[in-house]
Amino acid sequence: MTYYLVRRPRLDLAGMSLMLIGLGVLPIMVALIGNMEGLDATERQGFCGSCHTMDMWIEDANDPDSASLAAIHSRTHKFGGKSCYVCHKDYGMFGYALTKLGGMGHVYKFLSEWMWYDRDEIIEKIHIARPFKNENCMQCHSTTGAIWSGVQDHHGLVDDLRNGETSCVSAGCHGYAHPFSKPEEETPSADEVHTALDAPAPEGT
Amino acid sequence: MSPKARLKKFFDTASRSKLMVYACVLGLIALALMSWSLFDQGWIPVMAAMSLGQGIGTLSFMLFIAIVIMDLRKAEFRPSIPPAPEEPRDD
Repeated sequence: MTYYLVRRPRLDLAGMSLMLIGLGVLPIMVALIGNMEGLDATERQGFCGSCHTMDMWIEDANDPDSASLAAIHSRTHKFGGKSCYVCHKDYGMFGYALTKLGGMGHVYKFLSEWMWYDRDEIIEKIHIARPFKNENCMQCHSTTGAIWSGVQDHHGLVDDLRNGETSCVSAGCHGYAHPFSKPEEETPSADEVHTALDAPAPEGT
Repeated sequence: MSPKARLKKFFDTASRSKLMVYACVLGLIALALMSWSLFDQGWIPVMAAMSLGQGIGTLSFMLFIAIVIMDLRKAEFRPSIPPAPEEPRDD
């Protein structure tokens, strides 16, 4: 393309073939690679954290001393780099597309409103769009394993947890995934948050 | 003027070299946007590449296709088999 702009060769068969490579084959290949890389990038924590509104959430998730659910899960090497996406994505049939649509909603909200907030305002204004689904926890914690079933508090709640009537991430249970963003009175103490996670290994949960 | 007539007029009168310049400039912008997202994967470059970059790239390719259509409209298609020589007349 630059060659054409500088040298202006004749547009005969050879010239047109060269331009087909420059204007057709090359951009299509770059677009395909860009799409694959771009879609993969949208799943990474760095992408979610590239808006300043998410700074505190990312800082907490990556804090080695934090006991929040987000931090504990982000330390899991299986999906640490994609922890926001793995926990918040929609696992339904059209989950990928719906998750991306939800992301577009976030972009709209950011451009129209959130980008004007500073850190203190963000904490008050931003909240999850829909209640967090237990289904997302159950992608890994199947609720059928021996360790999970061995926790006394789970016994009476199995059905409620599976159909989503009781949230795994409520104050009385495992606590909020991002407790720093909740008002003090709603946040359980560090002892309360992970009493159920004292089990030695995550296998069979 | 109907859209069809407008299109016909465009293919009859537009300058191929000018269109190619536009296609090249747009193609370079599209490539720059799409390549930027490969090196910086923040939300602005990624979204710019996957929307604006691909849109501009498609427009550039459409201009190239328009030039090809213009060429084909003006091309003279000659049969590859020459016509049979005329039979000598018996006078």
